[in-house]
Amino acid sequence: MVKQISKNFGSFQALDEVSFEMNKGDIVGLLGKNGAGKTTLMRILTSFITASSGMVAVDGDDMTKHSVKIRQKIGYLPEKPPLYGDMTVQYYLKFAAEIKSVPKNKRLSQLAKVLEECGLEQVRQKTIATLSKGYKQRVGIAQAIIHEPKLLILDEPTSGLDPMQIQQVLALIKSQRDQRTVLLSTHSLTEIEQVAQRVLLIKSGRIVLDDSLDRLLRNAGATQSQPLTLEQVFVNHHQPQPPVNQGSHASDE
Amino acid sequence: MNKIFALTKKELHSLFSSPVAYIILIVMLSLFNIFFFLSIEQNREVSLRDVFQLMEFMLVFFIPLLTMRLFSEEKSNGTMEFLLTAPLTHTMIVLGKYFSMLIFFTLLIGLTLSYYFIVEYFGEPDPSSILSGYLGIWLEGAFFIAVGLLASSWTANQIIAAMVSYLILFSLYFATSFTQYVSGPAEHFLIQLSTHTHLENFAIGIITPSDIVYYLAGILLCLVLTRLSIDNRLWH
Repeated sequence: MVKQISKNFGSFQALDEVSFEMNKGDIVGLLGKNGAGKTTLMRILTSFITASSGMVAVDGDDMTKHSVKIRQKIGYLPEKPPLYGDMTVQYYLKFAAEIKSVPKNKRLSQLAKVLEECGLEQVRQKTIATLSKGYKQRVGIAQAIIHEPKLLILDEPTSGLDPMQIQQVLALIKSQRDQRTVLLSTHSLTEIEQVAQRVLLIKSGRIVLDDSLDRLLRNAGATQSQPLTLEQVFVNHHQPQPPVNQGSHASDE
Repeated sequence: MNKIFALTKKELHSLFSSPVAYIILIVMLSLFNIFFFLSIEQNREVSLRDVFQLMEFMLVFFIPLLTMRLFSEEKSNGTMEFLLTAPLTHTMIVLGKYFSMLIFFTLLIGLTLSYYFIVEYFGEPDPSSILSGYLGIWLEGAFFIAVGLLASSWTANQIIAAMVSYLILFSLYFATSFTQYVSGPAEHFLIQLSTHTHLENFAIGIITPSDIVYYLAGILLCLVLTRLSIDNRLWH
């Protein structure tokens, strides 16, 4: 649960009283233009930075009081996958399992599971620096899910990937649906349409839209002669507002 | 404790999977060996006092090269976000990194223990003064590593981290040089601040509580400040 989160960087307000809730099994797409506040919101949810005001709670635990406990329940892939180039895939994932408190007797089985789930078995002994961007992204997702988090937060997981790699990563995200709640940010609206059930639209640090994808497109389409796409909904929300009519004499002045 | 050990292991893995660790070991041991043989040749003493003081001077140059990457590299690679969003306390992260460097430094110093056996072959050295000298140089190295770790926590740039470490370590090492400009309590303060003052006692076989407290307090202060630096994300 996110309740009235605000974040200021000096005089710049990155987030302005953002509130929303996510339920178990949701895949929520976080949409917004560059600089809208998506990454700031994700960094607050993962406690990388703290909010200026407001509250974040996961499973009823307050982030400010139980930060480590909450981080145990969260898997996070930042925009740039946080990888150690000098490690092999297997060594890195073992290290991730150790610091994320995966019990010693479950580490090997958990490692085998994420290697299979993320399609990394063939490259497990390879040094991360030598992998393609698509594989690096998958290693990033593997570290995020190795401790079986309840909430998975992915910041632009398909950024810079080719179409085949994008489809592979999206399939991997879809496969998480039954196991955990996913918050996903991306610039690609078609990707959101493929995987998300719900959309949060953030604009200038405020949530301006929070609805299920189906209802959003149905309702938006009902006012038009043909159904809208998510792209049109997005553009509609970002179109400059027409100036407020100041009265019939305004244009004459 | 397991998580601290995992972080320590990871740091040592990074260090030894690049040529850096081996180059530092080879260069430092070569220099220590040259100083050792020159010192024995010139002084004709079965003592390592001068060797310890030369080691101290070399550590001022070498420790920042070892510690500059500790946090700076994590920040520039984006892996700091990985560590800070993992279920780790900031104290665990600081201690994991600190212990890794301490283990590497202990290995380096351990490889010079052969000096004792060499001087013992040629004469009858005082084992207690050599042991206290080793304890002193180990404590000093441990203090310098804590200073380097602190400097690395302030910036994402490794060169800046090294330069800041040099500034602090040179100031500590040469603090007694400034005593000619001051007198009274300030002079006493500078003498007590100098690392050289405290190592001198260890090198001649004197172990005093104040010298031990100096190093331990210095280490603790730097580790606490590093933790605060991470808490407050001072590099941003």
